[in-house]
Amino acid sequence: MPSKTAAEDFFKGLWLENPVFRQMLGMCPILAVTNTVVNGLAMGLATSFVLVSSSFLISLIKKLIPSQVRIASYIVVIATFVTIADRLLAAYFWDISKALGPFVPLIVVNCIILGRAEAFASKNTVGRSVLDALGMSAGFILALFVLSSIREILGSGAFLGFRILGPWFEPWIIMVLPAGAFITLGIMMAISIQVERKRKRG
Amino acid sequence: MSLSSRMVTVLTLVGFLSGGFLATVGQLTRERIALNKKMEVERAILAVVPGASAGRMIHEEKDFTVYAGQDKDGQVAGFAVYTAGTGFQDKIVLMLGLDASLSRINSLTILEQKETPGLGAKITDEASFLVYWEGKDFRQPLSLRKPPAAPPESLSASEVNTITGATISSQAVLQIVNSAREKIIKLNEEGKLNPEGKDAKQNRR
Repeated sequence: MPSKTAAEDFFKGLWLENPVFRQMLGMCPILAVTNTVVNGLAMGLATSFVLVSSSFLISLIKKLIPSQVRIASYIVVIATFVTIADRLLAAYFWDISKALGPFVPLIVVNCIILGRAEAFASKNTVGRSVLDALGMSAGFILALFVLSSIREILGSGAFLGFRILGPWFEPWIIMVLPAGAFITLGIMMAISIQVERKRKRG
Repeated sequence: MSLSSRMVTVLTLVGFLSGGFLATVGQLTRERIALNKKMEVERAILAVVPGASAGRMIHEEKDFTVYAGQDKDGQVAGFAVYTAGTGFQDKIVLMLGLDASLSRINSLTILEQKETPGLGAKITDEASFLVYWEGKDFRQPLSLRKPPAAPPESLSASEVNTITGATISSQAVLQIVNSAREKIIKLNEEGKLNPEGKDAKQNRR
């Protein structure tokens, strides 16, 4: 659905076109790094940095790139920003960089970024592209946050690393394993579809 | 300009700019990243050798480095062994602290691991795993206690606890420590653990 105002460019990423629940993009990081809230948020922020910077740059240079080589050029641009993010994390946030391990380089293949470059940034003005990227980032972070909160609370009885459930609570180990990610994501997806149906019916 | 030459120009330019940019960022962050790694090793040496104020590298080979922890007067307060081995999923890197006579384990710190979160990753957990390594006899090979027992005093001097549900990860750590033990004993017999020896260098890692 084409959005008309700046607000729509931004807010559609949160719900209507949420990258995770609506477009089902970026499933790999969603499943892989949401076992704790800190990891989820760090991944979300690193992805946002790449998404916003590459949307900005791609929108800026879209006229110069012949359409036959656009995908190759986009990937190089995205990979450049990912490597920068990876290096910066390693230099200034050593612990987070260690926790995210191999997932930061994998942002390159996060379909949200290439998807937005192809679907939006290559067709729209710089300002709108940045707004779109910010909205998508916010939607992605929101999804990561919800999923990682559920998984950390049920899987470790903690939130942001602090134990919040008493010793009576036996952590559900499955929630920190990949299977827990699939289960949580499936339930979240079902809920979001149900909510959307209700909303459409009026 | 024809289409094909335009494609070549654009792709070359994009690659060139990206390469230049990355080289700059790599150059700017390289020192800091190296420093982070070095600090981590240094912190680990001081943590596993109580009373040490500096670490001096006395032996190095692949995935196996021995540091002497020296106190303020330059006396050897203990040894720190940086070593690695295969875990359940990936390499486990750890730092083992020994007393000056190589007869006792001071403590153990896991530096890097990618074990299963919530199960094998508990090898980094102080209360359920690492505390059981403190004060263990290093003159004989260690073994695992299964099923695990508590408190730490209830285990014998050469026994360490297994993590419930993560036997493979526990065994991996045991294996790494025991093989480091053999190497250390051999080095000591060859007289290579002298901090003033010719192999010794101020910690440059």
